[in-house]
Amino acid sequence: MFRPSARKRYVNLLRELAIAQFKLKDQSAFLGFLWSFLHPLVMIGILFALFKVKAGQSIEHYAIYLLIGVVQYTHFSNSTSRSMTVLYSMRQLTSDAIFPKEVLVLSGVIADFVEFVFSMIICIIIAVLSGVVLSSAILLLPLVWALQFVLVLSVSLLLSCLYVFVRDVAHIYQAFLRLLLFITPIFYDMSFLEAGPGRYILWLNPLAHLIYFSRTVIIGGSRFPVGSSMLLLFATCALFFCSLKIFKNYEPTFTENL
Amino acid sequence: MSLPSPKICDVPSAIRAQNVGKLFPRGKSYDTAFRTLTKRLFGGLGRTESFSALKDISFEIFKGEKIAIVGNNGAGKTTLLRVIAGLCRPTTGEIQVDGDMILLRGLDVGMVDELSAAENLFLYGSIYGLDKEKIKAKFHDIFKWAELEAFAGAKLGTFSSGMKARLAFSAVRYFEAEIFLLDEAFSATDRNFKTKYEEVFRKQRNSDQTFLIATHDLDFARMFCTKTLWLDEGEQMAFDSTEKVLKLYTEGKAT
Repeated sequence: MFRPSARKRYVNLLRELAIAQFKLKDQSAFLGFLWSFLHPLVMIGILFALFKVKAGQSIEHYAIYLLIGVVQYTHFSNSTSRSMTVLYSMRQLTSDAIFPKEVLVLSGVIADFVEFVFSMIICIIIAVLSGVVLSSAILLLPLVWALQFVLVLSVSLLLSCLYVFVRDVAHIYQAFLRLLLFITPIFYDMSFLEAGPGRYILWLNPLAHLIYFSRTVIIGGSRFPVGSSMLLLFATCALFFCSLKIFKNYEPTFTENL
Repeated sequence: MSLPSPKICDVPSAIRAQNVGKLFPRGKSYDTAFRTLTKRLFGGLGRTESFSALKDISFEIFKGEKIAIVGNNGAGKTTLLRVIAGLCRPTTGEIQVDGDMILLRGLDVGMVDELSAAENLFLYGSIYGLDKEKIKAKFHDIFKWAELEAFAGAKLGTFSSGMKARLAFSAVRYFEAEIFLLDEAFSATDRNFKTKYEEVFRKQRNSDQTFLIATHDLDFARMFCTKTLWLDEGEQMAFDSTEKVLKLYTEGKAT
């Protein structure tokens, strides 16, 4: 009897799991998608009201500036937090089914990523409606998305693996995400951090770079930094291979630790 | 220890276990970051006790053999299946498996209540290696066999456990693997369904697929399995023809 090759089986499983997770997020319905927009929208509203006058004064198209930052931060924080617990919440599959377990993480990250791309497209539409003139630089946006995808996936692989062994990492990570919200230039200008020793934090923060890339591509104002984007591409790929290696290394011990 | 079955040399082995042992820490709960750190810094303060889930298990299973695993709860049946499946590393000894495997720990592993029965079928199939095209081709047959044709669009959460088991097993009939590891997969089923799945197994009796079935249903073991492995508290009590082992097992249980 013909058996589907291992690769075909892998892709089949990945697709079905991603579809299932997308449906479970209640995103297939249009209203479900709108709900997921509510939380970032409230956040944008608050930040806009608070910082428009001071921090946002010097920033052109401050609302769009905020929107891009919040959407990218929200995707990063939601997707990584959800992936962190995926091996545990699907522990029946983790501990009792025979397949490469990174599929569980990857499928969730893909489901979240689809939602993220939709959100970014809405960002662009809003930007155009509010008078932003798009340039051909917009064609670089998929590269930024790809970088964000690999970054989220790598962090998710590490966290999901860690969570199996150390449960309270969830609390620590939530605290870290709150910190990340403030050390990333989401509602203030990058120059605010660049002046002091904060520039080292800024430089080490991949999310800050990614948000900066999106803003230069959509709003414009400065040239797209080719050099640092290549460096980030290299760094995220290295991070991905390391995290996958760590994940595969611990995979055979998941069952007895869940 | 095992009786030499006829023509052993011609048949390649599917699963070979040599002195397999598995230790688990007793009463282990998950670690906190604090505990992990202190353990790293000060070494293993308050060593945890461990117990052996499997002790010195050795056997050889040949391709096409149908093996039952019997034993009381906590005997190590599940652990043994997980070790064979590669989901647990044995602490001692070695396990060799030749052939691709499917492990079924209950029929509901991979089913999601919030999705419809049809959606579940595609997800369930993909987990065990059945692709979309194949499921599409067998879709009506799977629902018909399960006697659930009217329920394809219903949410699985509304199904009784018996209905879920029927749907799952109907799909299982099309699973392809050289080795099947089944763990008390068919407990929540009624008599009508029992006749139906036993019929499926009866047809499988002379197939070249290897089956390892952990079960409490001794009649089923007699019907389907040529050999039986008896485990008790992690120890291998007997591995021989089903008839002999079950005689020992039922006598042993009585005392």
